[in-house]
Amino acid sequence: MEEVKSQNHGEISLAHCGVLFLDELPEFKKSVLEVLRGPLEDRIITISRIQASFSYPCNFMLIASMNPCPCGYYGSKEKECNCTQEQIKKYIGKISGPLLDRIDLHIEVSGVRYEKLRNQKKGETSEQIRERVDMARKIQQCRYKDNGIFSNAELTPKLIQEHCRIDDKSDKILEKAFEKLGLTARAFGRILKVARTIADLEQSEKIESMHVIEAIQYRSLDKKYWGN
Amino acid sequence: MLSIIHSMALHGLDGYLISVQVDVAPGMPCFEIVGLPDASVRESKERVKTAIKNSGIDFFSRRVIVNLAPANIKKEGSNFDLPIAVGILIAMEKVQKHEIQSFLEKTLFLGELSLDGKINQINGVLPICIEAVKKGLKRILLPKENAKEASIVKGIEIYAVDSLKQVVEFLDNEKILQKESEWQNEKLGDKKYPVDFSEVKGQETAKRALEIAAARWT
Repeated sequence: MEEVKSQNHGEISLAHCGVLFLDELPEFKKSVLEVLRGPLEDRIITISRIQASFSYPCNFMLIASMNPCPCGYYGSKEKECNCTQEQIKKYIGKISGPLLDRIDLHIEVSGVRYEKLRNQKKGETSEQIRERVDMARKIQQCRYKDNGIFSNAELTPKLIQEHCRIDDKSDKILEKAFEKLGLTARAFGRILKVARTIADLEQSEKIESMHVIEAIQYRSLDKKYWGN
Repeated sequence: MLSIIHSMALHGLDGYLISVQVDVAPGMPCFEIVGLPDASVRESKERVKTAIKNSGIDFFSRRVIVNLAPANIKKEGSNFDLPIAVGILIAMEKVQKHEIQSFLEKTLFLGELSLDGKINQINGVLPICIEAVKKGLKRILLPKENAKEASIVKGIEIYAVDSLKQVVEFLDNEKILQKESEWQNEKLGDKKYPVDFSEVKGQETAKRALEIAAARWT
């Protein structure tokens, strides 16, 4: 991924209708990462050159991974981190708040304990997971057939109001989370969309409070590492 | 004599029609390409000259001027090798197709030439074909490797060509080219992946997050 000089499309347009995986996110140039903001929202990228400007579609799913600090052990229970505060701040600061705000699911992947590694019990197979995912997608396609969209990810603010209704209990939980985590207006819509998807995965018509709680949980990491 | 061949270039994701005008006249031997060609288009001079020679056709030393119209748009890529070569051969009266003018008006030529006259694959055939249908063209001659991609577009005849020699024989009425058959949707079988989620030990949250991500997006 780099700043392209020609009129040719870049990685995000090549990832159109697919997944773009950026490993070691802070190692990318900051200017390159910040440029992702617009296309992530609009699903279209406009490249302006001297001769003309060109628009390319880029409806992609962004997956990124990073370490919490240069040594990789900040916040770990197993090993001590030997980075200075300054180093950590610089490393984490490469990912700006606005970019982070556009990522819906934040998770922390910790090391696997020995007992788990030795455990012979097999988890769910890809086939089983796929069945659930296919079902959830079908539900969405069915629900949005009159709206001209296919999935929860494409919901506009107006459609969120229509399709992501929550009860009073969930409303209270969200309100509390907002104060505690200092969430933005953008995050609000995104949490509702994620909650809608979790409900769809369970084939539940209504968004229950536990779906909202799970969705909020995926937004707590920015407070832990980025909140000062 | 002057000949005019249609070709196309890409502007972002849209094709736009380029008319390749070739004039061959007696005079000091030279070969010029005008109409804002970039380095890759300018280099096509050498490819075209050598490909024609290696296809067994005499390339007399003449004054050859090629204009890529509209002349105010920058041209890039190697799409124009084949139309330039065909334009030169027609302008030199090396091919004798019946009613060639009306044939050329409805035909699009695309392709990069290699030195031995083989026609190489190009990029962006799909948007070009879509635009060609809009412009009311009847047929496209393009590299063999691009034929399948082009056949997705309906309403235009696709002819896959392999070498400059084949194109010349076609234009000389000696041989008939086979039309590319229409695109058939291929059913994708269930793919077998070497890795499976059941092999991942622990990391339930990560797996769950990936599942949610997959479910909310098409």
